[in-house]
Amino acid sequence: MPFVPNPELGNRIITLMAALVLVLQIAAVGQRGIVSSIRIFAVQSFLLGAIAAVIAYFNHASHIYIAALLTVFLKAGLLPRLLERLVERIGIRREIEPLINVPLSILIAGGLTLLGYVVAESFYHPEQTSAQAALGHNTLAVAIALFLIGFFAMVNRRKALTQVLGLLSLENGLFLAAISLTYGMPLVVELGILFDVLVAVMVLGILVFRIRETFDSMDVSKLRKLRE
Amino acid sequence: MTEVIINSGLQLVLLLLVAPLLSGMIKTLKARLQNRRGPGVLQSYRDIFKLLRKGMVIPETASWIFSAAPYMVFGTATLVGLMIPMTTTHAPLSLFGGVLAVVYLLALGRFFLALGGLDTGSSFGGLGSSREMTISAIAEPAMMLAIFTVALGANSTNLSEMAKIAVTQSWRFLAPSQMLAFAALFIVLIAETGRIPVDNPATHLELTMIHEAMILEYSGPYLALIEWGASIKQLVLMTLLVNTFFPFGLSSDWTVQTVGVGLAFYLAKLFLLACLIVLVETSNAKLRLFRVPELLMVAFILGALALISTFLF
Repeated sequence: MPFVPNPELGNRIITLMAALVLVLQIAAVGQRGIVSSIRIFAVQSFLLGAIAAVIAYFNHASHIYIAALLTVFLKAGLLPRLLERLVERIGIRREIEPLINVPLSILIAGGLTLLGYVVAESFYHPEQTSAQAALGHNTLAVAIALFLIGFFAMVNRRKALTQVLGLLSLENGLFLAAISLTYGMPLVVELGILFDVLVAVMVLGILVFRIRETFDSMDVSKLRKLRE
Repeated sequence: MTEVIINSGLQLVLLLLVAPLLSGMIKTLKARLQNRRGPGVLQSYRDIFKLLRKGMVIPETASWIFSAAPYMVFGTATLVGLMIPMTTTHAPLSLFGGVLAVVYLLALGRFFLALGGLDTGSSFGGLGSSREMTISAIAEPAMMLAIFTVALGANSTNLSEMAKIAVTQSWRFLAPSQMLAFAALFIVLIAETGRIPVDNPATHLELTMIHEAMILEYSGPYLALIEWGASIKQLVLMTLLVNTFFPFGLSSDWTVQTVGVGLAFYLAKLFLLACLIVLVETSNAKLRLFRVPELLMVAFILGALALISTFLF
């Protein structure tokens, strides 16, 4: 008799990991050190990869394994390494300076999570979905929350490098939404998104370095001086 | 009726005896982890007995509130201790109020302690009281949210009912909402008992002290009552944490055997939680006072998320 994985168990594991991802995202909003933000992002990406792997295992969709592996390698390994090297080269050890103070930011992040749940509620029709699609379906709320908080983090921060981190966590939200809604996109799409992000971060890294060289600062509000 | 009395008596003895032991154990473990010898486990008992035998100095400017505060702190902590299930699922005084009464009796004790700090008119006392109130203003809603998460699962705010439901589903703590609520309540525990990222319990020589600043004017038996009350409050909060989230070994009937097993499990769980607290205290530096609200805000959001996720997951 072949081993039939219990979808109930899979659902529990995925829900637990999605909750952890959400907590990490909110922790990232409350974080001041730039290196620790990068590490939080790395752990978050690793968990996302794990979620993808669990979905692949329980849905017997072997191509998602590749997406999961790539996520772990690129987003939990390579990108954080790149960003940390950039931080070292620029030599910033200073704290992130958000526009809104940290307690209020955390409250706003909580509010955005609530919004994510409200939006995701309207997508939830348990009677219509098959057992396969139901797997990981409840992570949609987490995905929307990740997306919104990522946006908020980008708006809330002044330094170019920290905005890149916001963009990356936003992309994590997209990835989670994609796997929770479609239980496995075509591999080509997954690969496209992943490499898109990789290239974006590389370009942004170079851009950040240039901004820093030209303006002696990564503060993007100084770019207004470009107007002559 | 006699059962209630016996139950209350047992729990009262347990409460009064275990609380100083737990404080002493945390001190000893912490010292060992920092490569010091540290005081013995029984040091807290010795401190209390020594203070109870000493005379006391009452400031001339103090009113009756100064004398009432130690009794209120000790009394509320003990009363709350009788309202939560410790070794059995049935708390001796689960007659009224449930979890709301627990939270607000603790708040009443804290209110009188803050008044006692203000009463003498010394600048340190006022400072400590104002800080204590600032912290508790955020810690209290976080605690409420986390406890409501558990109460929702049991459909009751009565702690005995919650324990009875919890015993039937021991592995529930793996659910995301329970873990989030546990994390929130753990941060609240750290803040309420004045442990390291929030306050330093080992010194009263720092300008950033909170608890010690309020009780700076107390001496002799009053100080003993306050310290004893504080350690009972710590025991109560830790019990709340271990028994609502990890209800292993809580006995539901009244044979000697199950009560013994319950007691053993209870002490083991308390020991593990104490180890966790010691680890947190040793591996963290004290936060700047203005950063403390951030930490508590995280606890509040964790509690809110826990409550939301009970509806969705």
